[in-house]
Amino acid sequence: MDAITVNHLRRLYKSTDGIIKRTTKEVVAVEDVSFEIRQGELFGLLGPNGAGKTTSVKMLTTLLIPSGGSATILGLDVVKDANKVRPRIGFIFGGERGLYWRLSGLDNLRYFASLYYVDEATSKKRIPELLEIVGLKGREREKVEGYSRGMRQRLHIARALLHDPEVLFLDEPTMGLDPVGARELRTTVKNLQSANKTILLTTHYMFEADALCQRIAVINKGKIVALDTPEKLKENVQDLSVVEVELYGIPQEVIERIKALDFVVEVSIENRDQRQVMQVHTPKGPEAIPVLVEHLNGLRIGRIITREPTLEDAYVRLVGGAEQ
Amino acid sequence: MLNRLTTNTRIFFEGAYYSYKALFRWLRPATYLASEVFAPLTMMIFFVYIGAYASGSNSASFYVIGNSLIFAASSGIFGVTMSVGGERWSGTLPYLFGSPANRWAMFVGRAVMHVLNGMLGVFIGLGWGILLFKLDLSHTDPLALLLTILITTFSTSGLGLLMGCLSLITRNVMLVNNTVYFLLLVFSGANIPVGDLPRWMQVISQGLPLTRGVACARTIIDGGSLADVLPLLQVEFLIGVILTILGYFLFKIFEIEAKRMGTLDIF
Ligand SMILES: Nc1ncnc2c1ncn2[C@@H]1O[C@H](COP(=O)(O)OP(=O)(O)O)[C@@H](O)[C@H]1O
Ligand SMILES: [Mg+2]
Repeated sequence: MDAITVNHLRRLYKSTDGIIKRTTKEVVAVEDVSFEIRQGELFGLLGPNGAGKTTSVKMLTTLLIPSGGSATILGLDVVKDANKVRPRIGFIFGGERGLYWRLSGLDNLRYFASLYYVDEATSKKRIPELLEIVGLKGREREKVEGYSRGMRQRLHIARALLHDPEVLFLDEPTMGLDPVGARELRTTVKNLQSANKTILLTTHYMFEADALCQRIAVINKGKIVALDTPEKLKENVQDLSVVEVELYGIPQEVIERIKALDFVVEVSIENRDQRQVMQVHTPKGPEAIPVLVEHLNGLRIGRIITREPTLEDAYVRLVGGAEQ
Repeated sequence: MLNRLTTNTRIFFEGAYYSYKALFRWLRPATYLASEVFAPLTMMIFFVYIGAYASGSNSASFYVIGNSLIFAASSGIFGVTMSVGGERWSGTLPYLFGSPANRWAMFVGRAVMHVLNGMLGVFIGLGWGILLFKLDLSHTDPLALLLTILITTFSTSGLGLLMGCLSLITRNVMLVNNTVYFLLLVFSGANIPVGDLPRWMQVISQGLPLTRGVACARTIIDGGSLADVLPLLQVEFLIGVILTILGYFLFKIFEIEAKRMGTLDIF
């Protein structure tokens, strides 16, 4: 059985502007999202900021009523059976809010254990185990306000696991963490999956989804634009190569002109210090270089290389790459 | 069934305990002492002297009793409002509403510690009265007084719960809170005898919590018995129940609306 099924889920937000003349605007945060997640699977929802990841997770965790479509968790409808869904799921949203900063980590866990009807004996046993899993052992009596971002994020994970839920939602769990903290957190997530939990993880980092997830759904502007294993997603771009051109300043109209070339599939620009690296996805490979150089006439050009496409390139191609 | 009841009771008291701890643990003992012990004193001195000067007739004990109960009200209103409204500020609402916890236990538990804190405030106020203003409790039935204080802190905490829910919905709650507090100062009879107010104001007084509690406390300290004040106390209690139920419904409406509108984590 699938642990999670999502059927044409949709959500609009109304926002009102103006003080004198009230105008109501509708934002389509999630336009049409469908997927299934198998029991025990670590599934990635990957997309740029504003793609609709958090909105989707909120609907699946009973915190937001969908405008259309439906979803089930362990066979239970997230709207009609919300009360039955809640005890069986755990969730965290990225960022460090959502904890009582003036309480110790331990008090936070104890309070949420009571909200999830975890009995005293069980929580006495489980809280130390969870502190061990998330690497907060020995720090649990300190107030959360003294914790680092990474510690708060890991406390959130422990909180989400208190009632031993079958399904976990992790919305951008590494958001705002330094590289070391992010890596530790990824290890924690990996370990959870081996504990046979079904996990939906959202992220805007391709490499994170690649490193952790068995399948990835790429979401862009509220729609799923691809859904497959990381390997299969990579195959989608195998017919292309990437030509990387190092530049020192490139006008927007030149980018547009290169994008319009018939052998160019996608162009993305990556800023590195004062330089930019223009990445051109093309089936022509190195043969494209002379034409590109012609179009870059008059600009200062650095190194030019041709390379095999990576998963990152597949992602860039799916969500449209110009801004990075 | 019974099991569910005991676990909900646990949510109730743990919610009470931790929300109170979260609110007050940052205070150092000295700060706590200042806000709980000495702030009431300055306020009491202010009203006793101003009041006695302005009215010329009312005795110090009139103001001592009135203002002691005002402390219960301020703990009820500001304490409970902060512990409910503070959830928005700390970003914990999605986690509270995403949990299976019984909403009633979760919500009303917030008020419990503030009821106790409010009672403590009343005792401190009366203590200052005995020490400094010759408040005479020799004719007082202690149990009747205790019951009066308990019911009055309960009813004003009910107002606090209602205000706390308003604070989830509106963002300008401190303004509303201060206004309500000011209304109580003026209309409850704590500092101005209700009988001295114009007719239309007296109507408002009768609708507020605290008014009857203050009257009962004065009667009891004057030597009245529980039987003398029981009718008034019952109404005071009823006002508390109504405010609490209203607050709870507002809380439920907030939950439903926030999930519909997507405003659960907007602050
Ligand atoms: N409460 C809200 N009111 C109005 N618009 C919103 C609200 N929440 C999100 N949005 C908009 O919906 C879109 C999707 O947001 P979100 O689901 O948070 O994306 P992601 O998590 O992928 O970054 C964005 O354009 C965002 O601005
Ligand atoms: Mg998001």
